[in-house]
Amino acid sequence: MSQRAVSMPHGGWTAFIRRMAALAIVLSAAIPIYLLVKQAVTPEIESFAWPPLWLPRRITGAHLESVFTVGELRLAISRSIATALVCGVSATVMGAMMGYAMARSRWGRRTGMSAITATRLLPMIAVALPLALAFIAMGLYDRPSAIGLALVHTALALPMTALVLFPAFLAIPLELEEAALLDGASPLRIFIAIDLPLVRGALAAAFILSFILSWDEFGFAVLLQVTNRTLPPLLYYYTVFGDVGAASALALLMMIPAICVVVALRPMLRGALMAGSLR
Amino acid sequence: MDRASRNLRILFVAVPGAFMAAVMLVPAFGGLVLSFNRCGPSLGNYALLFADPMFWRALANNLVIPAGSLGLELALGLLLALYLTARPKPPAVVEIAAVLPFAIPEIVLLTLARYLFMPRGYVNAALVEAGFHPLGWLLPNHALALATVITVDAWHVTPVVMLILMGGLQSIAPEIYEAAALDGAGTFATFRHITLPLLFPSIVAAVVLRGVDALRIFSTTLVLTGAEGVPVLSTYAYQQWTDAQQPRVAMAASVILALAITVIGLAAASAMRRFGAAEAPR
Repeated sequence: MSQRAVSMPHGGWTAFIRRMAALAIVLSAAIPIYLLVKQAVTPEIESFAWPPLWLPRRITGAHLESVFTVGELRLAISRSIATALVCGVSATVMGAMMGYAMARSRWGRRTGMSAITATRLLPMIAVALPLALAFIAMGLYDRPSAIGLALVHTALALPMTALVLFPAFLAIPLELEEAALLDGASPLRIFIAIDLPLVRGALAAAFILSFILSWDEFGFAVLLQVTNRTLPPLLYYYTVFGDVGAASALALLMMIPAICVVVALRPMLRGALMAGSLR
Repeated sequence: MDRASRNLRILFVAVPGAFMAAVMLVPAFGGLVLSFNRCGPSLGNYALLFADPMFWRALANNLVIPAGSLGLELALGLLLALYLTARPKPPAVVEIAAVLPFAIPEIVLLTLARYLFMPRGYVNAALVEAGFHPLGWLLPNHALALATVITVDAWHVTPVVMLILMGGLQSIAPEIYEAAALDGAGTFATFRHITLPLLFPSIVAAVVLRGVDALRIFSTTLVLTGAEGVPVLSTYAYQQWTDAQQPRVAMAASVILALAITVIGLAAASAMRRFGAAEAPR
């Protein structure tokens, strides 16, 4: 599998530098996360201390508990989960349609790819502002259910899910479909009964990626959910207005899905992250 | 082929296509129309925009920050990719730590960055304890704030560049390195004359992919410095929308940004094709 690109001489200085580099990389991730955890479990007075305390003096569970007891936080959590679930399901369904159509026609392969690439050129702000006006007119703006935001996240995730599912459909041999066609099955039935089960893995990947995209998305969320906030705008609000303990606890909570993905899917990490970077 | 399956394919393109158009293209087009409207068709929004010095600062920052960030993440991403693909292979925990800044939500990373760089933050604390003066990392209108924004932006996306370059490095056949070693090429000569030229398509892919993204910068400056501290076009439009209550000027600003991204994106894509890289790098 992986070919070693550059082989480095062993021993002496090189080994020392390599070990220091490994240490630096690990610390660059570990120290900031340690500080976040520290802020989440110490009283606010310690977080605002100057000079700051590097080690906690008193431990409190109040901030972590507030995530599950304070109404605003609980609402934001359930709103974020609901938005991400709607986005995950609808983007996967429509991405499967798109990816299948692209895989089964020569036209789709070229035009579909260009269309997907073109969606990356539109900046968030150029869509979000007029969309906010349209949502106000349609009654979808800042709804407690965040349904408007879920629609936007679906549109953001769709090119990515189509791109993930397209090669999976392309890999299915056409003979399988032709055999079913001879048996008199309708094209829709063939798609549902033969193609979909064969791309289960890609469907799961598309769902996870679009769930995470919605869970992480900040720009549209801060513009469209101004009072009925989801987690990212709520974290922004707490960070800017100085509720250090609650902000740190929320930030830790928001990292859970990402950490699950990194730990559980490490073998396919590279592919997943690459696809995620295409959003 | 068969009529029925053809109809199914058309339906399968039409439904997602119509959805994308309704949620993305129609509003974007509406915004374009509205930006040319001020109680009737007019260029007034653009006149207001071009008369505002803050807009020009935002435009300048919107070019400087992506350029700086792209350079930094290429340099760091290349170093990390070389390190992680070299032998002996570093432990898995190092690879996880290296991709972590991109794996965690952007807003979490920015929250962290704010706690690190704020006036009484951890970076200044470390400086003071080491016997230096604290610095104004996020001071509005200051070059240092620009550098901080570039650093944090690069911190978030360096793993993406690293992964693209790792893919490129692993596709170089080991026989080429063996041949170079037989010819007596040293580590640096091997890198300069073999790794770098063969890696070039991946570097171009990373620059195009990340460059277009970097131009859309919004949350990094908003969270770290606020809309006015280090303005970029997206936060300028956001600020015109929320605080200044000038939605049409906001849309004119976002039209300028979309135009800049399209022009730079198309130029980059044609450059990418010339260097013979694939359109959708994996």
